[in-house]
Amino acid sequence: MSKQYEIPIGAQHISLLEPLHFKFTTENEKVVRTDANVYYVHRGIEKACCTKFKFRQVSFVVGRVCGLCSISHTTAYSQVAEKLVKIEIPKRAKYLRMLVIELDRIHSHLLCLSHVAENSGFEALFMKTMQYREFAMELLEAVCGNRIQYDFSIVGGVARDLKPLVANSIIARLKTFMPQLDELVDIYSNNWTLSLKNKGAGVITKETAMRLNVVGPFARSAGLAIDVRNDTEDLLPWKEVGFEMITDTAGDVYARNMVRLRELYVSIRIIQNVINGLPEGELVTETKAFPDGEAVVRLEAPRGELFYYAKGNKTQMLERLKIKAPTFSNIAGMVEAFEGNEYGSVPAIIASYDPCLSCTAR
Amino acid sequence: MNKIETNLATLRDDIRSFYNPAMHHFIVMNAVDLGQQMEVQWFFSNYAPPGDITTFYALVNPDEMIPSIREIVPSAWVAEAELVDLMNISIENTSKGFVLEPDFESGPLRKGK
Amino acid sequence: MKTFLNAIGNIFRQPVTTKYPFEPTFKPDDYRGLIGFEESLCIWCRRCEAVCPPGAIVFSQDMEGKQTYHFNRAVCIYCGECVRACPKEGALFQTAEPAPCALKAENINNGWNKLYDDALASREAYAAEKKRRAAAEKTAATTNPIKPAASEGE
Repeated sequence: MSKQYEIPIGAQHISLLEPLHFKFTTENEKVVRTDANVYYVHRGIEKACCTKFKFRQVSFVVGRVCGLCSISHTTAYSQVAEKLVKIEIPKRAKYLRMLVIELDRIHSHLLCLSHVAENSGFEALFMKTMQYREFAMELLEAVCGNRIQYDFSIVGGVARDLKPLVANSIIARLKTFMPQLDELVDIYSNNWTLSLKNKGAGVITKETAMRLNVVGPFARSAGLAIDVRNDTEDLLPWKEVGFEMITDTAGDVYARNMVRLRELYVSIRIIQNVINGLPEGELVTETKAFPDGEAVVRLEAPRGELFYYAKGNKTQMLERLKIKAPTFSNIAGMVEAFEGNEYGSVPAIIASYDPCLSCTAR
Repeated sequence: MNKIETNLATLRDDIRSFYNPAMHHFIVMNAVDLGQQMEVQWFFSNYAPPGDITTFYALVNPDEMIPSIREIVPSAWVAEAELVDLMNISIENTSKGFVLEPDFESGPLRKGK
Repeated sequence: MKTFLNAIGNIFRQPVTTKYPFEPTFKPDDYRGLIGFEESLCIWCRRCEAVCPPGAIVFSQDMEGKQTYHFNRAVCIYCGECVRACPKEGALFQTAEPAPCALKAENINNGWNKLYDDALASREAYAAEKKRRAAAEKTAATTNPIKPAASEGE
């Protein structure tokens, strides 16, 4: 047996965006074991939601769980609260929620792709991807009034309407984005330098993904077809607006890039369909009921399945709120997928997981 | 949501006979403080055909030892470690200190904390 | 060869970033900015205070019953929930103006916490005062017509 070295990464590190700590045991540059510590930012949000805030205010609190998938958290909470007060929201509100979720997915996937490029040592591609991402942020600002922390979903519907002028600008900006996306796909799939760092790195097989219950693009890149948009039809009508499952087979960093890029095409199509088929009607269903009983909701956030459990007791305060973020399910898979890789490709692998630790630790 | 009641003695057998890695996705574990007792829940969903969420639940006393299911569902260790810290319950082969610092006041999500 | 030409072309290309302090950045027309308050229209129902998630609105009350509106732009999350809850059109509204930075001299956190507690205390004091006055009026009303007032006060 050769000599083993332990190399820590994090909780503060240049190649990490998140407060996350990995301890790698390496042998001849190969990672043989990984330990992870992910809870550096536990903020007690679940507790605050059940003691300090009324159930209508909680949708703004859970929006602060994560900056990138803020809309997924607010929408998932709003849905679970709507189940507890037993109301059905207007169809226009459902469509507007899907619109913002998909715009959010575009900017989140592009952010992840840019960080994979950066951590693989391709800074120019990082800047190019970020440049192309900016349109999604501006559109979100035009739709929701804010670049991050959208506060768009409220219990009973959505907070703001989509103006025709904004809808036209979304269609126009998406049209200019299409050739840019084609260019990105070309670079990410054909660039030789990037392929050296990405192909064959961080491989996870379909069997492992199933065994460890991995979710999101991480699982889909390995061929495991898990996407909540495919499952739940009652809350948001995804199939009606043209959802399509994207999977790959290789399960490495390259496959994850490709899954994310191809999902962008699906997102663009969903946004176009939503705007073209936006039904008329109210934005909010009013109710004076208090939450009662228990309910669960699953929603596909950019990183995978988001799960909310809530229990009410006929008062303004919830009895229990449980948030399961996508990265939480992926921790076990993340630790396993490092094994056998060279230490040099670890930063790119971490970025390709797209970890969101402030979601996980809450 | 499809709720199935179980108890600590038969929990592992119930989940073993239900869970098939190729068909079921383990979502997460959860616990609710009911005052005297705790309701511990295990959530599962289907890959295909997409269907309802199956929930196993057991009513336990806060000081009881809960069997671990990680030999059936290997990724459950994350959820178990989180519950041990946040709800101050005991699960087999799970020590404190994954979520909170070991010297932190235990069980912040319990009632009355 | 194509890469090479691209690189030469890039020398003459404009930057894609905006020179922010000197040029304005993108801002939509209905940006979620500062919350405006029109005192003449307010009906003092305090519904905005009840729904505000972070507690950025509070009403204080003096001994005559007159209420004063306080708003903290550093605590506000600009969600617009108060505007939606307001039953009186135009009393509360959301402007497109971004909030200015807070200065140290404003003592915007600790000063606000104190103001918040004082405002709640002032309302309690007024409620107690009102109760006392009502009781006094009641005693006055019941005692005045009848002459002997010694046992009525209890």
